[in-house]
Amino acid sequence: MPVSGKTYRRIRNIVLAWLTLVALAGFLLDIPRINILEHTARNLYFHVPMWFTMMAAFFVSAWRSGQYLRSRDPLRDTQALEAARVGAAFGVLGLATGVVWARFTWYVGQGIWWNFDPKQTMAAVQLLIYGAYFTLRSSVEEPEKRGRIAAVYNLFAAACVPFLLYALPRQMESLHPGAEGNPAFSDITHPTMRVVFYAAVVGFIGLFWVFYTQRVRLAILKERIEDAFRT
Amino acid sequence: MKEPFARWFAGAWAVFEKDLRLELRNRHAAGMLLMFVPASILLIFFAAGQEPLSPRIQAGLLWIVILFAASIGLGRSFVSEADRDTALFLRMHARASMVYAGKLLFNFLLILALDVVAVLTMMLLLHLQVAHGGLLASAILLGSLGLAGAATLLAALIAQAATRGPLLPVLLFPLLVPLLLSAATATRHALEGGDGWGASAESLTTLTAFAGVAITAATLLFDFIWND
Amino acid sequence: MTIHPIQEADTTNAAPYDTIWTSQEVPVQPPDALERTMLAQDKLYVVLAVVLIIWIGLAAFVLRTDRKIDRLERKLDASISQETSPE
Repeated sequence: MPVSGKTYRRIRNIVLAWLTLVALAGFLLDIPRINILEHTARNLYFHVPMWFTMMAAFFVSAWRSGQYLRSRDPLRDTQALEAARVGAAFGVLGLATGVVWARFTWYVGQGIWWNFDPKQTMAAVQLLIYGAYFTLRSSVEEPEKRGRIAAVYNLFAAACVPFLLYALPRQMESLHPGAEGNPAFSDITHPTMRVVFYAAVVGFIGLFWVFYTQRVRLAILKERIEDAFRT
Repeated sequence: MKEPFARWFAGAWAVFEKDLRLELRNRHAAGMLLMFVPASILLIFFAAGQEPLSPRIQAGLLWIVILFAASIGLGRSFVSEADRDTALFLRMHARASMVYAGKLLFNFLLILALDVVAVLTMMLLLHLQVAHGGLLASAILLGSLGLAGAATLLAALIAQAATRGPLLPVLLFPLLVPLLLSAATATRHALEGGDGWGASAESLTTLTAFAGVAITAATLLFDFIWND
Repeated sequence: MTIHPIQEADTTNAAPYDTIWTSQEVPVQPPDALERTMLAQDKLYVVLAVVLIIWIGLAAFVLRTDRKIDRLERKLDASISQETSPE
């Protein structure tokens, strides 16, 4: 069963307060000036955690799918679906913020919004997989069969996705830190920045957990109400 | 130890033989692919005009044609089973992994036939020049194996879904991005000449690993689709 | 009708998905109005835009969840009134 009641409320309050502090720290703390990036280096606290959250959501979703195949508990299927939905929302946000950030730093004066950066492409493909997952679900009526088929697709996608991490950087050039010829992440970030960044990642994954738990509880409630009035 | 494996292999072979015999009888898939591949390549020729295409574009087009043809042709490999109500019969007599292996083998051969038609048509119409025949063959072989492994599992998924039509490309293409990238790179090296094998070693490794992982994962997951 | 000679592009050393930023001569346009706005204040407005996108996106997500709750409430009300009515 999903966490509810007191524990849920306590974690939710902690997450909200935590993210408020992260936002304050992100804007108020001094950061070293880097050419081209300038103040936009602060986006590290907001754009990058979107990716971490999306991957965490993807992992949770695949994990729940595996549990569904083993137990055939409808709750597991609901959890896999809601994790994928929240993860897709974070993925869209990551893509949108990345496009804006790149437009005014890497592509300044060139007027381009989209370039096939490996990480950007990876995110786009990941969103396509989410889209395929939702399309597949909508094409099956019977709940048991829908859960089974969707879980199989989800797990198969989880087996194929790691290849993207390997294949894409070898095919496309990247401007992200850590790519070939670019300074590594730890070289261009100040220790303070790293602390705030990790705090932001934890905070946004916490926010994912809050949304995910909310929606799973809602789905269960819906199921119960429908059951109660059917009989 | 040897006995169960021999029985498993015989079962898988029987599934494959059944599909092959059916195909040889009505030539449904082969006939369609034989029409689809040259028609699409002819369309590329009309759209691109007289301009010679670079090896990269040729390699990309070749794989696009293969991917689209496969996603159209393989979508039916389990639907026909459901249409003729033979799925239940097959379920009684063969284990899930046998069915998957048999179907995989048949689909793999179908894709290989499609590859041969596509490459020959492109050589004829688009002046495809092959510098490393062996490299091209291995890129196509490994790429087709991964493609068949993924498409066979997803075709079985779709046979259970209510709307069967255009679902396979939607499910298949996002998963095949790494395969398409590596296969197109290796094919480009095979067309360009030079140190083809050395330059595409990484791509061939990716293709092999992808095929291995896709087929292993599909074998494990096929149980859950086949046995309700 | 004139027939133009075909120009063969040199692709031997090019990387796949040629990236515009790696080529040496990047056609730099003078900053347009959008860029002038966004690049002011050491590009702080870019951070503002990113934070706003995330904020609006998360708000939209909460609103969608709310709409689900609304629908559920309406359904519940309808079912209850159906049950209590004599017909």
